[in-house]
Amino acid sequence: MTDATHSILRFREVTVSYGRHPALSHVSASIVCGSSTAILGPNGAGKSTFLRAILGWHPLQTGEIRIGDSHTHHLLPRLAYLPQRQAIDWDFPITVREVVEQGRYPSLRWFERFKQHDHECVDRALAELDIEALASRQIRMLSGGQQQRVFLARALAQGADIFLLDEPFAGLDLHATEELIHILRAWEAQGRTVLAAMHELPLARAHFRHALLLNTSVIACGQVDAVLTDANIDLAYRGGHCAHEDPLRSARTAHFPQ
Amino acid sequence: MTAQQLFIEPFSFGFMQRGALSVVLLSITGGLLGPILILRRLALMGDALSHSLLPGIAFAYLLFGANLLALFLGGLFAGLITAAASALLSRMTRVKEDAAFGSLFVIFFAVGIALISAMKTRVDFMQFLFGNVLAVGSRDLALAGFACVLTAAVFGIFHRSVFLETFDPIFFRATGGRGGLTHVGLLCLVALNLVAALQAMGVVLALGLFLLPAVTAYLWCDRLRHLLAVSVAVALIGSLLGILLSYHANVPSGAGIVLTLGAGFILSAIGSPRHGVLVRLRANRGEVRRILHTPE
Repeated sequence: MTDATHSILRFREVTVSYGRHPALSHVSASIVCGSSTAILGPNGAGKSTFLRAILGWHPLQTGEIRIGDSHTHHLLPRLAYLPQRQAIDWDFPITVREVVEQGRYPSLRWFERFKQHDHECVDRALAELDIEALASRQIRMLSGGQQQRVFLARALAQGADIFLLDEPFAGLDLHATEELIHILRAWEAQGRTVLAAMHELPLARAHFRHALLLNTSVIACGQVDAVLTDANIDLAYRGGHCAHEDPLRSARTAHFPQ
Repeated sequence: MTAQQLFIEPFSFGFMQRGALSVVLLSITGGLLGPILILRRLALMGDALSHSLLPGIAFAYLLFGANLLALFLGGLFAGLITAAASALLSRMTRVKEDAAFGSLFVIFFAVGIALISAMKTRVDFMQFLFGNVLAVGSRDLALAGFACVLTAAVFGIFHRSVFLETFDPIFFRATGGRGGLTHVGLLCLVALNLVAALQAMGVVLALGLFLLPAVTAYLWCDRLRHLLAVSVAVALIGSLLGILLSYHANVPSGAGIVLTLGAGFILSAIGSPRHGVLVRLRANRGEVRRILHTPE
């Protein structure tokens, strides 16, 4: 990298295993501050594990992950994690505004009530994602793209500056995908750091500044054009070791680039 | 029969006053816990939990005789073991929580039945199975009061954790919440309240006081706060009408309460203005008519 940047998240020799199978093996990578990074790789390459390791959900067998000089678990408020969408019960009796208010919960103590500052954070988040008009709707009464914006707004209300998105483009139509890209680009322009685990290579190429190509270990990391070369993609998706022992399954689930 | 005779006179008796106080206390906790149970999809697990109290009660009887406190503690202990063991099983093996709970509760229920038949005594276990609100004593009232205060306190202090863990456990965990602890804590509260409801409602019917008001309210409310308030109100009204029904019609109190609450639920399921059967049917018919009458 030629430009003068500093890294906000540093992975050094990180290994995470499920039982005997390593999900991440000796991963070293730097995530550039105030920039968007696409985490790419075939299914089972460890993309989700990579994000969750940052949150401290998996014990690290080797290595460490640091934000600045601190271990990540000291800085949970700075991290906003957006899980895949299907985990939510859309019939839950809750309004858009109440979901966004949840973003303030981690910073409140048990007895504390919402203060003026908290309400302002919620208002700002609703306004930034343009869902003020929907604030009193139950969450089932929203389109897929709007539902996603509600959860992005919650992450904003949290006051985080590092956003970990797990497959944010899955199940979105063309319009919603464009909206989401627009939002992520605006965040990047405001100096926020975005990490998105995703499958869509063309989207990453067109709209993300950096990329991390994973297949259990790091294939390449850096500027998106330098990472997504034919040789690297070939190595990540066709070469290397097979993530699933069953060859039929890996043939069915692999995403081959055009 | 005048309204006075129907509604006021029964409560001039001491046993009816104690019974009424006991179901009021239980309605408050049941009305609060029920919505959380159904939103977490734990309705059937609550049922399993209530059955698994039996061996604890039987075992306590074996050791301490008909000591009410021992029976309650035994039931509570068995319920807590089932709750904790199934939560652990589901988190540490591939078995899902409903399956873990289902398997454990049948085992526990069988152990309970085996213990009872081995005792060869003529204890009135019918009362443990189906309850008798009119035999509620001061110790039952104290236990119900304790369960009520504890549940209300937990909801007052930890409501944000409870609601957030119920709505989005992944987010809760990602922001530093202790998901497993919240879950086990809630199950313990349910077990405590089931034991407290034993005397009034019985092992088998106690859960009705938790679940029926909650599902009734769920059909009417789209906000969590309203859901809790309506659920408590439905539980209060239903259980008081229920013991009146049991007084006048001479049916067991647990059955009377569940019957009144059940009637409320069925009527709501049919007639609820947004989520009821009638509205769905009418909407479907409107759609069919629109399709049929669309000009080609």
